[in-house]
Amino acid sequence: MTIVFFLVNSIPGDPVSIMLGPTPSAEQIAEVQAKYGLDKPIYERYLNYLASVAQGDLGESINVNSGMPVSELIMNRLPITLLLTVSAFAFAIATAVPLGVISAKRRNEPTDHVARIVSLIGVSTPSFWIGLMLIIVFATHLDLFPSRGLVLPWTEPGTGSRVTRRTETRLEILVLSVKHLILPMITLGTLQMAQIARIERSTMVDTLQDEYIKLARAYGVPENTIVRKHAFRPAQLPVITIIGLGLSTALGGAVLTEFVFEINGMGRLIIQGIYQRDYPVVMGTTIVFGITYLVGVIITDISYAYIDPRVKYGEEQ
Amino acid sequence: MAQRISELSRRRLLASGAAASAVAIAGCTGGSSDDGNELLFTQEKGWAYAFDPIVANGVPTAQVNEQIYEGLYTYNEDATDIVPELADGEPEVSDDGVTWTAEIKDEATFQNGDDVTAEDVKYSFEAPVDEETENAAEVNMIESIEAIDDKTVEFNLEYPYAAFDTTLTWSIVPKSERDGNEEEFGHDPVGSGPLQWVEWEDGQYVMLERWDDYWGEEQPNISGIEFDFVEEQSTRVTGIETGESDVIETVPPQLWEDVEGMDDVTIESSLGIGYFYLAFNCNEGPTADPQVREAVDYAFSMDDAIGSFVEPAGVRQYSPFPQSIVDAWDFPADEWAEIPHDRDIDQARELFEDAGVGMDYEWNIIVPPDDMREAIGESVSNGLQEVGFENVTFERLEWGTFLDLYATGSEDDYNMYTLGWSGSPDPEAFTYYLFAQELEESTNGTYYRNDEVDQLIMDAREEPDQETRREMYIEATNTILEDRVHLPAYNMYNSYGVADYVSDFQSHPDSATIPLSTHFNNVDVE
Repeated sequence: MTIVFFLVNSIPGDPVSIMLGPTPSAEQIAEVQAKYGLDKPIYERYLNYLASVAQGDLGESINVNSGMPVSELIMNRLPITLLLTVSAFAFAIATAVPLGVISAKRRNEPTDHVARIVSLIGVSTPSFWIGLMLIIVFATHLDLFPSRGLVLPWTEPGTGSRVTRRTETRLEILVLSVKHLILPMITLGTLQMAQIARIERSTMVDTLQDEYIKLARAYGVPENTIVRKHAFRPAQLPVITIIGLGLSTALGGAVLTEFVFEINGMGRLIIQGIYQRDYPVVMGTTIVFGITYLVGVIITDISYAYIDPRVKYGEEQ
Repeated sequence: MAQRISELSRRRLLASGAAASAVAIAGCTGGSSDDGNELLFTQEKGWAYAFDPIVANGVPTAQVNEQIYEGLYTYNEDATDIVPELADGEPEVSDDGVTWTAEIKDEATFQNGDDVTAEDVKYSFEAPVDEETENAAEVNMIESIEAIDDKTVEFNLEYPYAAFDTTLTWSIVPKSERDGNEEEFGHDPVGSGPLQWVEWEDGQYVMLERWDDYWGEEQPNISGIEFDFVEEQSTRVTGIETGESDVIETVPPQLWEDVEGMDDVTIESSLGIGYFYLAFNCNEGPTADPQVREAVDYAFSMDDAIGSFVEPAGVRQYSPFPQSIVDAWDFPADEWAEIPHDRDIDQARELFEDAGVGMDYEWNIIVPPDDMREAIGESVSNGLQEVGFENVTFERLEWGTFLDLYATGSEDDYNMYTLGWSGSPDPEAFTYYLFAQELEESTNGTYYRNDEVDQLIMDAREEPDQETRREMYIEATNTILEDRVHLPAYNMYNSYGVADYVSDFQSHPDSATIPLSTHFNNVDVE
């Protein structure tokens, strides 16, 4: 947070000149600077900011939405980005785990080669390009999905924008939400899917060569049972780690995905904040991204214990 | 205000002109619907936090506010003059041009049922200065305002400000609703216009509905309007193609033909009240010498640059004045069009040598984050390299950085920059802000020091006689163009992609004006 504060404040460009345009008087500039505390030395601003954050006050937006509390801005945008990110991970895990397992089971067979090529393409293709292609094919040409925006599934039927105002039932809202979500979800989730699939494959390959697996085979346990009952869970530890680490990449990827699909979530908010030198917005979004990442790491750690009984917390070993 | 249209062209791939499909996406149908004939208008940018004309500025918010609020006067169809809106008849102007008096129509009421009174007008014009809002500069030429009676208001100016008629288009708010309730007012605005506030969702949409008890003659045909915004050009164009939008704002040059080729979409466009240009640093460095500026003019072809990167979404402009002002003031645009040189590299080289500029000089050209203005800068850069200069730095800066640099007058920061200006339909807006010496470091980054020209510009602001003003502006502009303080470049159309089921939609030269129900049109969604 400290680094971000000083970095953002050291970027050339002045939020007041962006806010007031080209014709402000000296009095106007002074007044706006005083209003947002920009007339104080940077160390004082930093200490004031820390004090405000400690009291839960993230300040007011200077330019993105002049005068709007940053916390309100974030509360508006965070659900959108969380919905996108969580869906993308759900898509990634749901496709990558079977892909990796099948790949490991059919090691060096055509199925494995196809799966590995799919993973390779997924890892090496920029997400924004995937997004563009999806829009061209599925939104513009086939007209199957909307090309922009997101619908939150908990929107009340008959309320909101024209898209949701014309609905009458929760089911219609849900259908709309899914329709809007599919393309951005695939865009953001493809890289995660590819990375998870590769790790899944390699850990499964290793696990399937462990001594206890060989013993199970020697006892004549069917291969499918071995994979499902004995190999799958222990093989998930590295995968969980990758998923945890992937959370930070996904938040970065959300910025691009939100741009491509014109989704006004946290990703666009932080970019707008940077462009418009809206220090409180940049700081607020950075803090929230940081907290989100930490939560992701904690969930990952807790998942270890669930997946592998050998991992225990809070007990003497 | 300076034009600040940042374009992130991430998706030109979408400009591949897919066949238009009228099949509606579920929940995104255009045209008639269960909720009446509502219009979905897609803007380029998002809105300010408060829909309060006293504090809000920026085109997107103004486009919404224009529907809710009214001014004493408004622009006519081609923005060449003002016409009464809340006012009854023309304003009366004293001989010295300092006192302006306007009457308010008896029947004018706000959406809360209150009459529009002189007290509301007085409050609306005083509030920006009293509250020191960003809009104070719009009305700070007023010394005092007097409510003569309930329906008569008198403005006393600090000096005879000749363009005050355009100031009279300022939005009027109900004092009883806003005074003491400033914060809330912007989130639940009340005006006297034909459309009233419903709700907004930050970053998502703004919704207005028809005010059925509107006091004026022109009841809107549409039941309401929803504004949303899509910053990326290709996505916006895709939206009109797929039926996600009924009208989209700004058809970019690279997609113009695609939109023209769509079966169910037409383009409505009017030349804006704008001006885009290449400016020189006349303060420091070689460009302080008019001969060097002329050499730069020879080094590249502005015509070719505009033809390649701006048309058909804009037009070549040879003076600081957009066409609407040229027409209204009968300026000698044809003569001004003769001033720029055709590209002649040899001639450019000769002039640089004469001026003593060595081929090792390090040029520095800065441009804002806008594709068209970047193209102009790049053309200059290429021309200079063709002349033989080895060190030409050409930088596309983002707005924050650009605005910090462009008016310093320092050779280290820039030799040339490209920028744009949009203003009121008066020559003052395109001379005072760009060339007046008192605005160096603010909006004038040229530091052009010609006292005679400066005097003409300053005097013309306060000259009540239009013919005298006209002559002053012509004389000043002749010198400015001959001295090549700027190389005028282009002006953009205010352009809109309009679905065929939307009838009577018209563009307007004032980018903040989206005419929905006026004396010259009434939009409907069929």
